[in-house]
Amino acid sequence: MSIFSCLLAGLFLPLFPSSLVFNAVLRRLPHPWLPMVLLLVWPQIGLMLVLALEASPPDWVVPWALLTSALYALRALTLQDVRLWIGFLATSLWALLWLVVSGGGWAIAAPLHALGLSLPLVLLCLLGAGLTRRFGAARAGLPGGLAQSLPRYAGVLVVVVLAVIATPLFPAFFTMLGLVLHAAPAVPLTALALAGIWLLWSWAGARLLAGLVVGPAGGDGVADLSRLAAWGYVGVLAALVGAGIYGAMALT
Amino acid sequence: MSLPLGQRLRVRAMTYMAGEPIPFFWPMRAFIHHNPLHGLEHLPFGDAVAAGARLLHCRGHLSRRQYQGYLAAGKVDRSRLEAAVDAFVAARPAIPGVALGDWLMALLTETGGTVVPVRDFADVPDIHAAVRGSPLPPDGGTGLGRLGEGLKTALLAEGPVYAAVDGLYGTDIGMQLDELVIRICLEFLDEGQSVWGLPGREHGLFTAWRKVVGRHGWLFPHGVHVRGILAADPSPEGVIVHVMETLGVREDRWTAYFTRELARLHGWAGFIRWRSSARHYYWGRHYPADLVDLLAVRLTLGLALLKEHGRRVPAITVPAIREFIDKRTAEACLRHEFHGSRLLPALAQGVEEALALGGRVRIERVFREYTAAKRRHEAGHQAARLRAVAARAGAVTALEGLSAGALGRLLEGIGEFETGEGMVWLEAMESRAMGHLMAGVTLEPPPPRDKRPFAQALFCIDTRSERIRRHLEGAGDYQTFGIAGFFGVPISFMELGKGSETHLCPVLLTPRNLTLEMTVDGPRDPAAVTALEKVLHELKETVLTPFVTVEAIGLLFGFDMVGKTLIPRFYNRWRRHLHEHKPATHLLMDKLDRDQADSIVRAVQRAVIVKAVEQEYRLPAERITDDLVRELREAALGRLPGAPGLSQELGLGPAEEQGFIRRLREVYRINPAFARLQLERLARIGFSLDEQVGFVSQALRSIGLTRDFSRFVLLVGHGSTSENNPYESALDCGACGGNHGLVNARVLAQMANKPEVRRRLVSHGVHIADDAWFIPARHNTATDALELFDLDRLPSTHIVYLDRLRSGLTAASRLCAQERIPSLRASSRATRPPPGAAAACRAAERNAMDWSQVRPEWGLSRNAYFVIGRRDLTRRLSLEGRAFLHSYDYRLDPRRRLLENILTGPLVVGQWINMEHYFSTVDNAGLGAGSKVYHNITGRFGVMRGNLSDLRTGLPAQTVLKQGEPYHEPLRLITLMEAPLEHARRAIEAVVAVKQLVRNGWIRVLVIDPETTLVSVYDHGGWQHLSCPPSHPLSEESRAS
Repeated sequence: MSIFSCLLAGLFLPLFPSSLVFNAVLRRLPHPWLPMVLLLVWPQIGLMLVLALEASPPDWVVPWALLTSALYALRALTLQDVRLWIGFLATSLWALLWLVVSGGGWAIAAPLHALGLSLPLVLLCLLGAGLTRRFGAARAGLPGGLAQSLPRYAGVLVVVVLAVIATPLFPAFFTMLGLVLHAAPAVPLTALALAGIWLLWSWAGARLLAGLVVGPAGGDGVADLSRLAAWGYVGVLAALVGAGIYGAMALT
Repeated sequence: MSLPLGQRLRVRAMTYMAGEPIPFFWPMRAFIHHNPLHGLEHLPFGDAVAAGARLLHCRGHLSRRQYQGYLAAGKVDRSRLEAAVDAFVAARPAIPGVALGDWLMALLTETGGTVVPVRDFADVPDIHAAVRGSPLPPDGGTGLGRLGEGLKTALLAEGPVYAAVDGLYGTDIGMQLDELVIRICLEFLDEGQSVWGLPGREHGLFTAWRKVVGRHGWLFPHGVHVRGILAADPSPEGVIVHVMETLGVREDRWTAYFTRELARLHGWAGFIRWRSSARHYYWGRHYPADLVDLLAVRLTLGLALLKEHGRRVPAITVPAIREFIDKRTAEACLRHEFHGSRLLPALAQGVEEALALGGRVRIERVFREYTAAKRRHEAGHQAARLRAVAARAGAVTALEGLSAGALGRLLEGIGEFETGEGMVWLEAMESRAMGHLMAGVTLEPPPPRDKRPFAQALFCIDTRSERIRRHLEGAGDYQTFGIAGFFGVPISFMELGKGSETHLCPVLLTPRNLTLEMTVDGPRDPAAVTALEKVLHELKETVLTPFVTVEAIGLLFGFDMVGKTLIPRFYNRWRRHLHEHKPATHLLMDKLDRDQADSIVRAVQRAVIVKAVEQEYRLPAERITDDLVRELREAALGRLPGAPGLSQELGLGPAEEQGFIRRLREVYRINPAFARLQLERLARIGFSLDEQVGFVSQALRSIGLTRDFSRFVLLVGHGSTSENNPYESALDCGACGGNHGLVNARVLAQMANKPEVRRRLVSHGVHIADDAWFIPARHNTATDALELFDLDRLPSTHIVYLDRLRSGLTAASRLCAQERIPSLRASSRATRPPPGAAAACRAAERNAMDWSQVRPEWGLSRNAYFVIGRRDLTRRLSLEGRAFLHSYDYRLDPRRRLLENILTGPLVVGQWINMEHYFSTVDNAGLGAGSKVYHNITGRFGVMRGNLSDLRTGLPAQTVLKQGEPYHEPLRLITLMEAPLEHARRAIEAVVAVKQLVRNGWIRVLVIDPETTLVSVYDHGGWQHLSCPPSHPLSEESRAS
């Protein structure tokens, strides 16, 4: 795989600094549906490019991808805006897809892994759009205290964020578990880096949730998620769990 | 450099003044109910609530939605609301086209949320345009200068400098500082919870902390700055002056500044303030700390943190912040909006980026955009709120037709009304509560009795006594009285096996008499389980053993947990059998004469000498003769040159003999000086006969019981039992300083049963029948069990009547539990049929023994009334456990002394309890203790939320809230006195503290004259009279004086 091909693919399976493009695009999309489509399509384009070349990525891509992932995970710690947070987490998650495509037998299932990483982000994007509609922005601390004011919304939000940050038994968890187990015997340092990145996601997720869910109730008179919508989210999340387990079993 | 004494004293005086509004916090071992705004009682209630809200960042009233709920439930007097609105409207100039009264009633009764919120950007012309739906005028009067001045006032007027820095830069210094100060307080104030204590605590808080910081600066992230600041002066006062001067705070603002600093952690500050004033407090005496120490520590750390942040924050002093706001107003405003969470969400990201990137041009551009958007938002929001009220008042057209000037006056009027709205609701609620009380009182005298009651029972005035008194009276021929639970006898009590004194009286009093509890049983070996528990605790408290202990015997805790959780009644009863039982005891309560005291001192000295000889020379007891001991004692006291008997017995030389005698004097304290000290201490024990007569006389006369005594006179103290409950003592007797009231009952019973006392009481007008016998008893308010004590002293002639007495008490207990238990059920189970009496008793017992029960009883929740008068006044009325009932007969008190005593003690304690419940209900997070679920016991004297927080003052949510909504109805204490108005008025005027409480509206007072049936209520600075019969509602006030 040539450097040029790598850099082109690095636009879609984000590698710093070309990752700036994705985040800039995501941020500027006005309609809430467009970011969702972008989140689903963007990594798939990257994977298509990589898989179409039918060549293994060069060795330097893996540390670069890890560095990109770690950088964005670290930066996500300080973000308060949900749309930006999604962009940074997406970058951090998708950068690790380079490790998936470098993993030999795994490569064939890479689009499914990408889908498993992206779907929770899409759900979060949808929830973020709902918050923006209700409060003017989806942002930690503005208004905060969703657990009291919008308990159903808060509940769904918590589970979706858990899905994003690769909590068991969501698909991202199995992807991460596979990567760590795959890397541990051969390159322990990579496994250690992956575990560190995973930890940063959890931290970033906890900070985001602390700003949104915890604290005194804000936004009096704002409608909570309808029961139907809540069950819809639960259904999708359950399907994700099922898909994660099924995928893990299929791969093993 | 050391600060001159005069200036040090000035700083001390300022700190003392600054600490006045900080409420005391008593250790929770003996929970003292108190008014969290006690320091503001010199202000009228409404003003104090407003001041408290500013100082402690708390709410003083319920939300409008909650009051509207009470209105719908019929607990608010609507006519009183209308009268308040009418009075408000009448005091303002009319606004053409606006029926302000209709607007305000619509606002009060139908609108939720604040109608006129604080606005910084939108002006009246903007709102006027928004109301009409037209575009906003180009310049809404949002001048940069005005915003800057507003900002300076908001940030620098009273608050600490770091709060201003936090407000501008989002630095969180305040939170970091609070955490550091809490850690220091935890380490210093610990009362035995920690195994390792802070070194040098005996030198005081500031000195101990200073030493630690000086020696181990590397332990502290801010050590360098701290040591630099501390180098300025050795004294805490000097450090305070140095910090304040460095920060550039003007000296005339220091007191207010200190108050703000102390109020940040008012729980810890209140505890330090209390312990520095409690001279008898062991921990305070040994490890002194005061507010000056705390302030010096706090200010030092605050300045250190500011300096630390000073690397990236340009302004950390008052002049620098002022200059920053003046020169870069737009940035300062944006920063304040951003870090104060006041941002418009839609613009938040843009503002954040502008502030992060900097650049004057960019910031000013974003500021202009933001200002315009915020103006539109504020104006639109305000217009929408006005429209909502107008729609409910049927005045939408009128609103749209208003001129800008009229709209401004309307906004001003509504805003002003909303500021004082809480008081309007409160007074209307109180009016309804007063009406309810007065509708039930009976002024007719009781029918004459042909025989005395079977038994009389004196209960505490506590609201929980009302229920059981009612049921006891219904269970048979019982007469009950209400008296403060310490029965008018302030006691310093030394319990059997304890080495410290407990004050069993209201905290307002200091007892002079010491009572000892003694047993005639010999010393016993501790029960095996008790010893085992001691070993276990020691294993838990050392450094390494906990790891092994958990592995070795952790499973035992599992059994304990299962038992306590699944079968608490059975399991706890079984466990009690395993523990050592307290032996039967007597109270040493008669004054000792000189000979008796000498004899006791001699006996103690002899016992000590025997022990000393045994320990030092291993001499068996049979060889230590009385003569030998007498000789040693005389030698130690300097009356004999030596003790030849001992030398002969043991073959000692003269030097050894003299050495032992010297040790007896110095180590074992057998010397004249210590003997004198012992005699002085012994002089405090017990009560003289005159004192006993005085206490019994006062107690009985104060409740109007001077003749027709029954065969049994029960003195019922009360207390509560619960498991795993740090707030257990909050459920005990407030009049006994948060302890059980049994000891006071035993003391008064012993006094009143003495023939000599009874003989002398005749001269006081108290005629106790010869066969009358006072029996102490205890009312367990968690289970409603009534238990009799000291029955071994009961005359044999009374024993045959004991079964009947016990039956009556049992019936009352069961019925009381049956009435009470349904209110403790979860709301989801409220629809089930009420339990039978037996089932209710079992449920109450389980509540008292269940370690997972967060609400063993409601305690004093829902207290609302304080009735001072004959029992017959309210006997026919069920007050649902909401009234303090103090028996009183004004005809026995022509000089008002007894009434003044009731006002001074019980009423003030009642007011503290009432206010504690009031504020814990209206703002449980700020002035209450929040949920028990998050509580952790701290230092053995308080609780914190989580592992690090301010000490939680006030009452937990489980005591005053049910399902998150108020269970306690927050009202000021409605005090009803049965007496001629002049009699009551002069008594109130004579007690300065109560006069202030009444005049400032902390207590609502009603006086009912049984002779004229005239009812008078103190309202808005004067006595309002009701000429109608008392069964009519109180809103029908006819004339005022």
